[in-house]
Amino acid sequence: MSGKAGKILWDNLWTNNPIFIQILGICSTLAVTNSVRNTLIMTVGVSLSTAFSSWTLSAMQATIPRKVRMIVQVLVISFYVIIIDIILRAYLPEVSKQLGPYVGLIITNCIIMGRAEAFAAANKPVLSFWDGLTSGLGYMAVLVAIAVVREILGFGTLLGFRVMPAGFEPWTIMIMAPSAFFLVAFVMWWAKTVQARAAAKAAAAKSAPRPVPAKA
Amino acid sequence: MNAEPLVNPVVLFFASIFTSNILLSNFLGMCSFISISKDKTSAYGLGLAVTVVMTICAAVSWLVLRYLILPLDIEYLSFIIFIIVIAAVVQMLEMIIDRVSPALYMSLGIFLPLITVNCAILGAILFMQIRSYGFLQAVAFGAGSGMGWWLAIMLLASIRKRIENNPVPAGLKGAGITMVTIGFMAMAFIGFSGMIAVQ
Amino acid sequence: MKKDSIVYVVVFTFVVCAAFVFFLALANEATKDRVAANRLFAERAAVLDAFGIEYSAPPEALEKYERFVKDQPVPEGAGAEKAYRYEADGKTFFAARVTGAGLWGSISIILGADAGVERLTGLQIVAQNETPGLGGRIDEAWFRGQFRGERIGPEGIRVATGAESRGTGDPDPDNGLLDGVSGASRTSQSMEAIVNGGIRALRAIAGGAR
Repeated sequence: MSGKAGKILWDNLWTNNPIFIQILGICSTLAVTNSVRNTLIMTVGVSLSTAFSSWTLSAMQATIPRKVRMIVQVLVISFYVIIIDIILRAYLPEVSKQLGPYVGLIITNCIIMGRAEAFAAANKPVLSFWDGLTSGLGYMAVLVAIAVVREILGFGTLLGFRVMPAGFEPWTIMIMAPSAFFLVAFVMWWAKTVQARAAAKAAAAKSAPRPVPAKA
Repeated sequence: MNAEPLVNPVVLFFASIFTSNILLSNFLGMCSFISISKDKTSAYGLGLAVTVVMTICAAVSWLVLRYLILPLDIEYLSFIIFIIVIAAVVQMLEMIIDRVSPALYMSLGIFLPLITVNCAILGAILFMQIRSYGFLQAVAFGAGSGMGWWLAIMLLASIRKRIENNPVPAGLKGAGITMVTIGFMAMAFIGFSGMIAVQ
Repeated sequence: MKKDSIVYVVVFTFVVCAAFVFFLALANEATKDRVAANRLFAERAAVLDAFGIEYSAPPEALEKYERFVKDQPVPEGAGAEKAYRYEADGKTFFAARVTGAGLWGSISIILGADAGVERLTGLQIVAQNETPGLGGRIDEAWFRGQFRGERIGPEGIRVATGAESRGTGDPDPDNGLLDGVSGASRTSQSMEAIVNGGIRALRAIAGGAR
């Protein structure tokens, strides 16, 4: 069990990361990645709704008729997103005002539905919860990294505190939409290159059991 | 609820196509955007389907919002209701097209199921709700956003065709270079922002 | 009963929908008062901010509002939705709530000024739907703060855009010039128009009060 949980964590954070490998669910959050605080709140929202939806759907799995499966999935996801929206409105009105419609867009985030289909449908509730949560974490890690770069270069601040020297000229492009696409591309490039190198090394180790020759 | 904003629907229509393209500046509808943009015919079909569904959904959900959600004071349920509206519109459209024109069904129908979970549609509806647009503004915004999405996916499909056989660094192949391309497209679209003054 | 029979599907869908809607209604009901209180506080705090009245905690803000702020009649054609009056140390201040078109939807602000409408006392954004992180930054403290104590020129105020704006806030309170939000020149221009509309409304209100 713990071995399996560990593998799921590693899968979702690295080998099968929702953003740079599966390319899922960038839509709803990328727009707010020019501020670290908004990104954190959005990604926490995504992680929690993925985890709870996976858990609920996995628990309900046996009773859901095939014909209405999609609708039930959407219903469960909307349920958790609305709960998050209500909590934000009641306890963090400022944040709720700033994020506006983006909270509602978590519903259509493909990660949630993807995990519900691919994992929760065939696994136990607790494991599905863990899978949903770690998928969310893999998503969060990448987007927060992008948000950190965008906020520091675009505004010279981090979480609203000034971190760059006073003479720093902010890069306006970092505030605007195109930079988010470029940064996602960079993350993909980096991750795929590292993974390809690791795969090549593993393949070489497997096919060549003799001692590794000295570097030329 | 606020009063209707003072934005001209015609201006809103063009603004949502060019200056604030729902995909290139709000990042909505990315998933199908990347997976379908490999060839032009599918991109065309999906773009058309998104435009049609988005326009109809904007109109229908405006009516639902005004005559059902607001009078009953159930705004907290609006996300679920909008999703149901989208699913229903898609289902109806699928049935109608199937009856009326099998040829169109072949080119358009297969994309319809993909649309229920396209965030751009729900996104446009939520924007419409939170900005409290009037009916004409809502329809203009829906149609404009749909066409903007259509335009973007057609452009991307054409560009991807061109760069298909070019030498790209191994790690950047596929999704990576596509993201870079979209980034450049987004930059080009920023150039439109001086064109329309939304006043 | 079979899982795919029509009866089961209908009953299942109905029960599931009813259960989820019930819980949502419960959650909504439980937080309703809190949300309403938040809204009332946000509105009153915005008025206090527009007058430049300091407060530390929500109860104090509500108490100060009750004590100092009075509603002020809006003269016909002034273009304001609501007006407020505040008197302290023999001086009178006015604030008005006005709405104008932003890039995407309406922007509502509360703008305060002294009785002669020569200097602004503050600006607060009540509602806006601009892009988060771009136009939405008009709601940040550095942007709003630069309006406090700004001298109003004969033509009103001007919001700098493009290269002219440093995007960090204009420190000079006498030039009638403020920094716009970088990357959001359209919203900045809208803000200029809305604030100037607010200044005209305040002049009408202050003139009517005299």
